[in-house]
Amino acid sequence: MSELTIAMPKGRIFEEAYVLLQKAGFQLPEDLEESRKLIVEAPNEKIRFILAKPMDVPVYVEHGVADIGIAGKDVLLEQKRSVHELLDLRISQCYIATAGLPNTVMNDIAPRVATKYPEIASGFYKEKGEQVEIIGLNGSIELAPMIGLADRIVDIVSTGRTLRENGLVEYERIVDVTSRLIANPVSYRLKSERIRDMVKRLKESMD
Amino acid sequence: MTPIRKFEKPLGMRDSFPLINEKKEQIRDIGRQFFQLRGFDFIKTPTVEYYETVGKASAITDSALFKLVDRQGETLVLRPDMTTPIVRVATSKLMKEKIPLRLAYFANVFRAQESEGGRPAEFEQMGVELIGDESVYADAEMIITSSDFVQELGIDVYRITVGHAGLMQSILAKYTNSEEQVKKLQKFLLNKNMVGFEDTVRTYGLSSEIEKNLIEFIDKASNLQMIQELSPFIDESDQRQVDMFTYLSDLSRLLGSAGLTSKVTYDLTLTSEMNYYTGMLFEVFASGSGFAIGNGGRYDGLLQEFNSDVGATGFGMRVDRLLEVITPKTIKASHTVIFFDDTNYLKAIKESEILRAKGIRTTLQYINSVRDQQAFQGNFTEVAWLKEGKGIDE
Repeated sequence: MSELTIAMPKGRIFEEAYVLLQKAGFQLPEDLEESRKLIVEAPNEKIRFILAKPMDVPVYVEHGVADIGIAGKDVLLEQKRSVHELLDLRISQCYIATAGLPNTVMNDIAPRVATKYPEIASGFYKEKGEQVEIIGLNGSIELAPMIGLADRIVDIVSTGRTLRENGLVEYERIVDVTSRLIANPVSYRLKSERIRDMVKRLKESMD
Repeated sequence: MTPIRKFEKPLGMRDSFPLINEKKEQIRDIGRQFFQLRGFDFIKTPTVEYYETVGKASAITDSALFKLVDRQGETLVLRPDMTTPIVRVATSKLMKEKIPLRLAYFANVFRAQESEGGRPAEFEQMGVELIGDESVYADAEMIITSSDFVQELGIDVYRITVGHAGLMQSILAKYTNSEEQVKKLQKFLLNKNMVGFEDTVRTYGLSSEIEKNLIEFIDKASNLQMIQELSPFIDESDQRQVDMFTYLSDLSRLLGSAGLTSKVTYDLTLTSEMNYYTGMLFEVFASGSGFAIGNGGRYDGLLQEFNSDVGATGFGMRVDRLLEVITPKTIKASHTVIFFDDTNYLKAIKESEILRAKGIRTTLQYINSVRDQQAFQGNFTEVAWLKEGKGIDE
């Protein structure tokens, strides 16, 4: 059996996905204490986890240093990398939406949109037939309309609490987001048995 | 943007240092012999072509083309692939002399990178084209040749995945209601987005029976050891579909008799951004590279763009990715350096001629030009001195 390297996003998604794998019958070490280790081994299953920033998971998988990975649909949409999207794990559900101050319209001349998803945002407004100027931010996107940097933001929403607490309202829902199991195209061929087995077991345990 | 420094190269451009370059030349030598032995003639085409002809016909997206403008104002491109230029030459000239035509190439092609490193914007491809043969034997020859070539290079762990663009489309059309739906589903397959595929199928309002069959078909069709496993999904009343299936079965039989059964898997969902592939297409994967090391297929559609109605098939291997996969042969060839001073120049020349006549790689070096002698010497296996008061000394 060949070794399988899985790139996982650090934090909550990792924990949820870990439980999913255990439910699917994978023998993973129980005591996964909070450590700063970036590589976790599961020797029983010949699986190695690498813990990465959520945005970086598709990078590792695309370049083949990880065979498979777990990535949010938001990241996949934003980066458009050539990886296989095999399974919707239906964990960490949320969605991407536009938001702004209540009862406002976009500036006619130069509408500005702040986001950490420039691809998704510009794609969305293009589809609507509007040309907007994208301002890239890395976090606390909600600040932008509050302090007059942008008319709208495009950001991930899970409960809507952050928006509400900052006096913003949601305008349009763009796309639903969940975590997906992705695979490198070469690994998908060379390790197809292991990968297909994992997909099958995960699917069965989720139903 | 930060100003460009002296040492920088354009995004995605790479130098080949001597060691890498040597490896590339080795692959080229092996390939030259290999393909020639199989009856292919090597050809070269210009680096620069018209955008109107090769640029447009090539399946590489516009944004990946390097474009320039000539003095008449015509847009030119750096060739993004070799298949299109070869089809241009073949249809306009070579085909009139010989058909079917077997051509081979080793050439650099150019594909611009948008923003990220890690991928070359210029890389070598080595491959063959077989133009003017529509038979299944031609397609089998391509797959078998690519497999033999990979073995010739000493790569043992590899897989070839074979698909069929037309058959997939035909089966999808049977399950869905419109051409638009087929196109949409094909796009999901191109991006290998199985989740999107299933979700979209569910929005089409198909009967639950058909929906189930379609999803089952895709799951099955994406990994077949035996092409016969597909027969329950073939519509016997559709002659075109039956023909394509028969074709693929014949191909699989030919590959089997060539001993490739354990190397080949069939995946009907295999599609290519090279939209000129009309029939069979395939990809070659090897452990060691995160990307396919080669791909090929039948591209009759491309010849139509050049007003020809003959068929063609071929494949290309990515030399840069082969380099990642091939285990380097670390035979350090012997290399002698002769250091000489002003008085021993003639002697040094004579000595080097003797060594070179024996086939020994020999460098002549004027001693006073070397700053760090120890470091310089480290590059050689033998050292000889021709220096005042010192005879030849090894």
